This record gives sequence, structure tokens and C-alpha cells, in this order.
Amino acid sequence: MENYILPPEPLTNEAIAARLTTGARNGLANGSVKKKNLVYLELNGCSGNIISLLNGANPDFEYMIGSMVNLVYSNSLMAAEGEKAIERLMNALDEDYILAVEGAVALRDKGLYNIIGTWKGKPLTGLEAAKMLGEKASHILAVGACATHGGVSAARPNPSQSVGLQDVLPDKNMIKLPGCPVHPDWFLGTLAHILLYGDPDTDNLGRPLMFYSTLIHDRCPRRPFFDRGIFAEKLGDKTCLFKLGCRGPVTRTDCPTRQWNGHVNWPIGDDTPCIGCAQFGFPDAMAPFISYDTTRVVKDE
Amino acid sequence: MQNIRMLQQQVNSLINQARHDIYSISATSDPTAKQVKLQRIWDALTSIQFLNDLLAAHAASSISAANDRQPLNTMPVGQPISPTSANPAVAVPNQTFTIQDLANYDGKNGRPAYVAVGGVVYDVTNNRAWAAATHFGLVSGRDYTQEFASCHAGQQSILATLPVVGRLV
Repeated sequence: MENYILPPEPLTNEAIAARLTTGARNGLANGSVKKKNLVYLELNGCSGNIISLLNGANPDFEYMIGSMVNLVYSNSLMAAEGEKAIERLMNALDEDYILAVEGAVALRDKGLYNIIGTWKGKPLTGLEAAKMLGEKASHILAVGACATHGGVSAARPNPSQSVGLQDVLPDKNMIKLPGCPVHPDWFLGTLAHILLYGDPDTDNLGRPLMFYSTLIHDRCPRRPFFDRGIFAEKLGDKTCLFKLGCRGPVTRTDCPTRQWNGHVNWPIGDDTPCIGCAQFGFPDAMAPFISYDTTRVVKDE
Repeated sequence: MQNIRMLQQQVNSLINQARHDIYSISATSDPTAKQVKLQRIWDALTSIQFLNDLLAAHAASSISAANDRQPLNTMPVGQPISPTSANPAVAVPNQTFTIQDLANYDGKNGRPAYVAVGGVVYDVTNNRAWAAATHFGLVSGRDYTQEFASCHAGQQSILATLPVVGRLV
């Protein structure tokens, strides 16, 4: 009994946070942690992930571009436009960079369904940009449902023949951050991990375990209702939303504990079922998002 | 009574899960995986104990309601907690379904949700991966032998935890 090994350092949240920030500051001071270039490419999507990113807190977007990376290209956020912007994209190829891609790659008609700019008078397709930048990137992050597996852009009938980024870069390692949109913490946390410690541990689908390892169902505050068979009949009910079509039992994210919009709430906390937006195959595989005509007997009202 | 049936199903699936965990512990040499499985078995036993108490309380209350005079002398021997019916995967009930019969169990308007795999019909009404009787774009009431083989190859343990309701003919 006397051979207990006590933790050498205190394990309170404050102490751990202090250790992490001190470690990061020291790394920055002695040059072992470097500010890297980040190219944020938006392809066939809705810009939802960049909007979600702007909603980040602790760290926020300002901290990201100030202290973590040099954001060399982002078509939504950069000041340059037209060929000047694309020129910055081309110049990025000469240096080391991390590539983040949001949106799916449209394959139809050689990628002409998604043109991200013009270069030397010719249209630059998302397909060309994804291949060109993906080949030379030091790290690739597929951000959001569309980039990881096609997502909404590839939903039936998929008129632009959209696919996920891995389909056009089959031999490249990439970290996949599914979600529609991605939680700012999932993106910024993964980015920070790459800068400080290298690639994070991922599961067999390429998702970082630190954010995507736990089934929503297993951390759901309404789990006791599921276990007792007490189910919500309509949106707004405070019990288990399983019979309405909740996809929490098939979706792996930390939403129940992390929560959204500055960590204040999340869908189930607001009495609406999880639609499985961070599951591969979303949205087609997760439909229908809501069902009232289910295994429960419907009483005439 | 439906609650008792659900509790029984929960106990059965926990027992099945524990059996498979014991099997995989004996097969693996990875200490981390072992640790995870052992933790899961521990959790399963805790849940089984809780559900057992719950079932006993159910049985006691229904017996005392039916038989006020000798509540102390009667052992709660209701069918839901009979140990012989512990494993639904062993005995396939005699109920037979044609593919047309099966289509009625589509999980709509109060009907249960059944699906067939390999000629066996399973009840997925309260299966957590079948919210609103749908599963990754599949609707219940159909034969999914092919789909199961393509998505869950080598994962027969999934089937072992599902309640069996009959045979597809």
C-alpha cells in the first residue's frame, strides 16, 4: 500500500491549463513551435465551416491568425481579390503549408461545376486546386461533411458529381473532421495539436480521437430516459428523442459535453434530435431527420 | 408488461455483450483493449444488477397486487426473470414470416420494426442504431442480408444481441 505513486503535478483543470499554456509559450520562445502557413481552401460547399470557425472561443479566430498560423489564403476572409488572391494561393506553393479544405470536390465536366477563381485568364477549378495544393501540403485537414465524405454537396442526386477530398487525393494522409458544420474547437484543437505535437491520434476513419471517440448516446444527459424506455412524442419534450429519429446513437462526437455557440447548448439540450451531421454519409444516410409516425402507437388527437 | 419485456431484453443483450467481451479478451493480447473490455464487463454487471433489482420490484409489486394475503411467502417467479429464457439468440421462435409479412413490420403507426438477416427475423424496435425504425438510409420491414454482409462483415456479435422473433420463409 505504501507504493502509491502520486501524480508529480496537480491535476486540477487550472493546473493542467497552466501547464499546457506554459509549454506552448516555452515552445514558441525557444523556437520548437513555429507559426506555420495555413491555406484554407473553400470548394463546393456553403462556407458554413468558416462561419462556424469565426464563432470559436478560447481560442478564437483572432488568436488563430495572430498566434497560431499565417493565414495565407482564405477566399472568404482575405482582403485580396481576383487574380491577386489566386496569386497568393500560387505563391503559397513555394513554402511549407498546412492545407485545410472545406467543401466537396466537384468532378463533373472536369471540375467546371466549381470554379474558385481565374489564373492567367483561365478558370481555376476546385478539382485542380485540391490536387495541386494537396500534393505539396505538409498536413491536410478535410474540414466539414462535404470535404470528408461529400456531405450535402454529394447528396442525391448529386448533380455536380461531388466527392470527398480523399477521393481525389487517394494516396495522401489526411485528418478528417466531419460535421456540418465543424465545431470551431474541433478545427482549432486539431490545428493546435499539429503545431505543438504533430498529427493527433485518429481512428480508422481518420478522425481525431480527442474529439470523435465517444458516441453521443453514451454521454447524452437524456440517456437514463432511453434506458427506461421513456420517449419524447414531439419536439420540445424533455425526454429521450430516440423515437423521433435521434441519430445520437450512431454519431461519434463530444457535443454533449463540449456544446456549441460558445459552449452554451446543443441540439438535444434544446429538445431537438441529433441529425447525425458528423456521421459519414450525412445527410442521405441520416435521413429522415424527424419522424412522427413510428413504432409508438399514434393516438388520434 | 411492455416495460418488463424491455428490461428483459436489456438484460439479455448485456449478457450477450459480456459473453462476447469475455471471448474477445481471451483472444486478444493487447492490454489496452483488454482493459476496455474488462471495464465494459464491470459496467454490464452493474447494469444487470440494477435491472435485476428493478425486475424483482416489478414482480413483487404485481404479486402483492394480485395476491394481498401472502405476499411474503410467494417467491417472485414471473416469466420475465426466468433464467432459462436468458438467451434469445439460441432458440429461434417458430413464427415464420414471408417477405410480404415482414413488410408489415415497418415501424410505422405503432407497428414494431423487424428486419431479416440470413433468414432470421430480428426485432430492432428499440435498438439504439435504429432510431425511428431507420438505419443509415435503410427502412425496417425488409431483408438486409446483403447490406449486413457488406457493412458488418465479421461482426456476427451484432446479430447475437438482437432479439429474434422468427424465421423468414
